[in-house]
Amino acid sequence: MGVYEEVVQSTAEALIQASTTFRTDQIEAYHRAIALEKNVHAKWILGKIISNAEIAKEQRVPLCDDTGVPHVLIEVGDKAEIPKGFFQAIDGGIKKGLRELPGRPMAVCGDDLSRISQSCGLFEDSGALTMAPPQIKRLPGDKITLTVLMLGGGPEIRGKTLPVFHQHSYDVVIKEMISWGTESSMLLGCQPCILAYGIGRTHLEAASLCLEAMAKGDLSKQSKTEKLIKDEINKEGIGPLGMGGSCTVLGVFVNIGPQRASGVRIISLRAGCCFDPRRATVTFCFN
Amino acid sequence: MIITTPVSNDIIKGISIFDKIKIFGLLFTGRDAALPRLVELIKKGEILKKGIDLKGSVLFHTAVSAAGIGPTSSNKKEIESSLPILSKAGVKIHIGKGRLSNLTVDFLNESNSIFAICPPVSALLSSVIRMKRVVAFPEEGIEAFHCLEVEGLPALVAIAHGKTIFQ
Repeated sequence: MGVYEEVVQSTAEALIQASTTFRTDQIEAYHRAIALEKNVHAKWILGKIISNAEIAKEQRVPLCDDTGVPHVLIEVGDKAEIPKGFFQAIDGGIKKGLRELPGRPMAVCGDDLSRISQSCGLFEDSGALTMAPPQIKRLPGDKITLTVLMLGGGPEIRGKTLPVFHQHSYDVVIKEMISWGTESSMLLGCQPCILAYGIGRTHLEAASLCLEAMAKGDLSKQSKTEKLIKDEINKEGIGPLGMGGSCTVLGVFVNIGPQRASGVRIISLRAGCCFDPRRATVTFCFN
Repeated sequence: MIITTPVSNDIIKGISIFDKIKIFGLLFTGRDAALPRLVELIKKGEILKKGIDLKGSVLFHTAVSAAGIGPTSSNKKEIESSLPILSKAGVKIHIGKGRLSNLTVDFLNESNSIFAICPPVSALLSSVIRMKRVVAFPEEGIEAFHCLEVEGLPALVAIAHGKTIFQ
């Protein structure tokens, strides 16, 4: 297999794995939540999510029918060689993965204006759904890691990127993050949520930090800030699917970047659904 | 509780919030794109001409694709605003997800219709589909108005008889 074909195949496999398989930290987080949950209806829903994950893994079918829009985080080692056609091969792998999964055929047809109004229908080909612009980061070493994330639509409705005036207080910012998380968790409809926050200097930077939080976050390793946000929102008792219970938020990922010398912090929130983050990583070394 | 479609008014009267139900038989699917168009057909009195009989029906707010089925948020404007007229036209059980307004709770009660929520567990839900076909608006693709035959689609009753779990 040539380098181009290797990248195509590995990218496709990462997309399918991200879409069909719970990682260990997700399975363990659900079992912890079921053990702690006292609300029988909430327990029923959490149990269905685990059963769903078992069927999806066994049959290699999507965890959720909203298979999401593919996003990729590419981390390139300083000494890594990027082969010719690498990005084209990732594009090809995304297309192949979407066709094989199969992804929900939800690419919108038409010119700029008709795509907005969705007036020309949808492509029948699952592979017509293009990925979002890749996010690239440099790292030490000679390897390239590619993380494929599949971002469903519900969390896009409930997410936002906005400035927060910090008043030189960490507490002010955290309080606002809890407020956003509570509001989003209440409206999402696919609780328990996995909340991902990026905090940066610009809207674009905050959104990219949020994506990185989803690419790296581990539900079994929660920082003090992450645990605080989770515990405060869970006190509201919204629960799985809004049915009540102690597990509104399964986990929180916070990624704090460099900050601007000013009175404002830009925060990007993605109120992820019960399957988030759907992601898988593959590592290449072409040296 | 086992529910076989079509659903009678008496069956609905015996259902309470927090009841777990399993649907057997034929149900319709529609979401953002199809439901407002369906409402227009009802307003024009053309729904039966299209061969669609909503009396005693179950309506699942989902797309239908090779990726499976799964509830979309029912509190989207296009969906929630269609519930009153669809209920009057005969839909007895709306299945979706998300919190609905108190106004919708009242509208559903007036028509003796209920709202049930379904976990977005597509792998599990897709495993109970026995048949699927497009009924109307095929140009909407995965969002077309479909009919499915299901064997034990699980849901939990969230709104019934003026009561809601979303307090």
